[in-house]
Amino acid sequence: MTDDQPLRLLLRSALPPVTDLGLAKDLWPSIVHRRPALSGWPWLDLGVAAAVALVLALFPDWLWLLAYHL
Amino acid sequence: MVGDPHEDLLERFVQGDQDALEVLFERFAAEVHGWILRIVRDSGAAEEVLVESFWRAYRGRARFDASRSFGAWMRRIATNASLDHLQAARRHARWSSVDHDAPAPASPNPELRESVAIAFRRLPPKLQVVAALALIEERPHAEIAEALALPIGTVKSRVSRASARLRKELSSLGIRP
Repeated sequence: MTDDQPLRLLLRSALPPVTDLGLAKDLWPSIVHRRPALSGWPWLDLGVAAAVALVLALFPDWLWLLAYHL
Repeated sequence: MVGDPHEDLLERFVQGDQDALEVLFERFAAEVHGWILRIVRDSGAAEEVLVESFWRAYRGRARFDASRSFGAWMRRIATNASLDHLQAARRHARWSSVDHDAPAPASPNPELRESVAIAFRRLPPKLQVVAALALIEERPHAEIAEALALPIGTVKSRVSRASARLRKELSSLGIRP
């Protein structure tokens, strides 16, 4: 930890800790505005899941490849 | 950390009540925004990540245990969303030369500051997150570990790797801390 001290000081002199953490504006409208986009996600998720299931049904040996990447 | 709201509110949130989401947003937005800002160090990006984080929370509400701390759960989601932001920014190679909203640096040498910022931005995002929180913001390892859902030992190891990588990057820029 002590060895890090010069590095910490250098970092903090160039990139000071953030002190003003406050929110400049009300972002609730942005949350509400995103609501329509949300409804699109489950369909995309379902599409991807269906595609993966189809590929695995056709090529069961690829399950290991998928498991490896997960 | 703000105390968690009543369990009833959290139960309504888990059931998909958007009024409950709004109340939780009002209570926790500032705190979560502060955490995100410490990681992404840009207020515009922090606002985007905050909105994304609350939507992720709403989408994943079924996984929330209403008897646990909503603040801690949100911080974990916000940390992941911040990490995704840093990874996307790296992929699109549009790092701002950063810190638009950070306080004025103590360093009088702008070239040194720029070099350090470049070295910092060259860190892989996972190391950048721990470097920002541990080395710059000096947050406790336990707090970082909880936000990243990692053991403290892993956080310490990442801090150590981030330091070594930073030294290497700085060295390549002719700076020896």
